[in-house]
Amino acid sequence: MTPSTIYSKNPDFVQRDVAGECILVPIRRTLTEANSIYVLNETGAALWNRIDGASPIQKIVSGFAEEYDTTEEQLGRDFEALLADLLLIHAVEEVATAHDPSR
Amino acid sequence: MIQADKLRHLPERFPVACQWEITCRCNLQCVMCYTDCFNRPEFVRQELTTSEILRIMDQLTEAGTLELCLTGGEPMARTDFFDIYDHAIRSGFLVTVFTNGTLMTEAHADRFAALLPHRIEISLHGATQETFERITQGRGSHDRCLQAIRLLLDRNIPLALKTTAMTLNQHEIIAIKRYVASLGSVGYKLGEEMRPELDGGAGPFHYSLSEQELTALNRQDDDLWAESCQQKSVDPSPCRSGMQRFHIDAYGQLQLCSGNRTHSYDLRAGSFREGFFEALPTYGCPWKAPAVSEQIQPTVHHA
Repeated sequence: MTPSTIYSKNPDFVQRDVAGECILVPIRRTLTEANSIYVLNETGAALWNRIDGASPIQKIVSGFAEEYDTTEEQLGRDFEALLADLLLIHAVEEVATAHDPSR
Repeated sequence: MIQADKLRHLPERFPVACQWEITCRCNLQCVMCYTDCFNRPEFVRQELTTSEILRIMDQLTEAGTLELCLTGGEPMARTDFFDIYDHAIRSGFLVTVFTNGTLMTEAHADRFAALLPHRIEISLHGATQETFERITQGRGSHDRCLQAIRLLLDRNIPLALKTTAMTLNQHEIIAIKRYVASLGSVGYKLGEEMRPELDGGAGPFHYSLSEQELTALNRQDDDLWAESCQQKSVDPSPCRSGMQRFHIDAYGQLQLCSGNRTHSYDLRAGSFREGFFEALPTYGCPWKAPAVSEQIQPTVHHA
């Protein structure tokens, strides 16, 4: 994962809001994940909602940090952990790397 | 992120789980069935249309319902069954289907495999063709049921089989249970409850087992006996229907549960939110203990 990586959501995961909890329901399941759902915490849900298949991670983290008055460093770590989990279950996939004008 | 099989922290009263009797249509006529009395054209014509079902389902999605059980009658007897099922899966419900299995084709099994249900539960009321078809009154239904089981197992679809114990099959329950065990990872449930028909008829009770017969049946199997003893050893917990579970019938009537239809809220006329949060709490149930909750009114009893 690099700050310029762009991720998109797998449409085979449906996001549900159930009693204030954000959960992901896989609609095409493998046996290993049969009957599982995935519960996101508040930060995880907010970051998930910003994955749009167009914005690089750095842009998402920066925007989130401004909005919620938290450090980009902490958010970066949270986002990295969440993305690792989401990649493991194939809920997101890497679609591109944004051009970095500083290089 | 947490992987879970169900949500742990829910409000005491929240519409988590819906059992939806989407039709009373059925290709079989099981002798103990409580819905078959409405398996007639004049009643079928009054059942919810596809668009009505999808509209109500969208309201359940918005309200946060997660578990959806599609039952009947025979749900697959509806020609629009897979329109309903696919919409439910794509909306993110954990869908369980109660079926007799006898309408299942390879193409149907492939559709279930493509959009996997939480579980399919098939009724298997006899080990032999003779007993099975004496109960279902459908020639060839035994072979078709077994074929459905194979089709689903071949595709690794989560499956449970269940039997209603009655006078006609009490001698085959153990054989059914052995057959289910031979299938590997297939669940099994034995039901002992008979219900009156929806029109008030008492036909199903002609096939009820007596307490002595049930005891004799359960004594034949360690699992059944242990379960039976456990049920008798603890005080029955207060009925929780209407708290996190609710029922919708084939005509769009929202009710506390399928066994208590005395009071209904018409989802054709009103919204699900109003029905669940405003109407259901005013419906009584004789099985609710007075202290079950302050959020539902158990003191309102049916006449």
